Amino acid sequence: MGEELLDPLIHTQARLRIMTTLTSLPRGDRLTFPRLQALVEASAGNLSTHLRRLEEAGYVEVVKGHQGRVPSTQVGVTDAGRRAFDDYLARLRALLTASATAGPDGATGTDDSQEN
Amino acid sequence: MDDERPLDPEAGAAIVEAQRARVEASTAVDPRVLFGAWGLAWLLGFGLLWAAALDEPLVPVDLGVALAVFFALLAAAGVVTAVHIATRSRGVRGMSARQGALYGWGWFLGFAVVGALAHALRRAGASEDVVSLVMMATSVLLVGALYMAGGALWDSISQWALGAVITVSTVVALVVGLPHAYLVMSLGGGGAMLVAAGVEALRRRRARGH
Repeated sequence: MGEELLDPLIHTQARLRIMTTLTSLPRGDRLTFPRLQALVEASAGNLSTHLRRLEEAGYVEVVKGHQGRVPSTQVGVTDAGRRAFDDYLARLRALLTASATAGPDGATGTDDSQEN
Repeated sequence: MDDERPLDPEAGAAIVEAQRARVEASTAVDPRVLFGAWGLAWLLGFGLLWAAALDEPLVPVDLGVALAVFFALLAAAGVVTAVHIATRSRGVRGMSARQGALYGWGWFLGFAVVGALAHALRRAGASEDVVSLVMMATSVLLVGALYMAGGALWDSISQWALGAVITVSTVVALVVGLPHAYLVMSLGGGGAMLVAAGVEALRRRRARGH
């Protein structure tokens, strides 16, 4: 069953929204922090926390720059992040098909043992 | 949003679908808006020019007034385009945003040449008929060529086809000559854009239906 586990870094409401948002953009594009915040409907502090975890995993990159004189933070998904997300979707789909054909088996595939 | 709670797979799939739709609806440029605005401007603008330029005008409007209305409609479509793109691309940075901005400036500079050409032709003593004809042909040439270039770059057959239809309409319009050239552009240009907007609307409804 181990290979059916869903990536716990992605499989939470907040981070799933963040990853879906960033991977929906054309490749090579980033979002400014406020725009991302509006799209995922998170508080700034909450979003920062989740972004830090995704950044540590190498799934997103947070680029701090300047727009004129105003500091501006931009967030984009990395190639590794895109791969992880595609992987996540494939497993999610496999789980849904399995539960649709075999009936409920109670496996949600969530594993928070990586908590730190 | 809370957060570390485990999701079940159904909830995960629902979040992905909803969030994708939301990002698409708020950051992607909507071709229905752009084709709709320009299609309407051309259909009405060129239509009015045609109606006013006939030997026995269909509407009691001076040709100069019709021309002013035409440019006002084009300017309105330009404003709709600029506002729409600015709203959708707010906060989006990187490759596609830069690509879109460069493409947009290409349109703007191209039309600056069209405007300057009209001015230069008048100064050189060209008749109003010649000026109208050249303005119409060059601006439509630019639109058709840029649509085809955009369609090629973004791998969009429908955008390329629209550019091709507009370009062929321009050839027909030039062969036909004034005043009926205006009618050709009204239907072949504006009509084609409205059809493109309609096709896109249909495609989206069908995609949602599944």
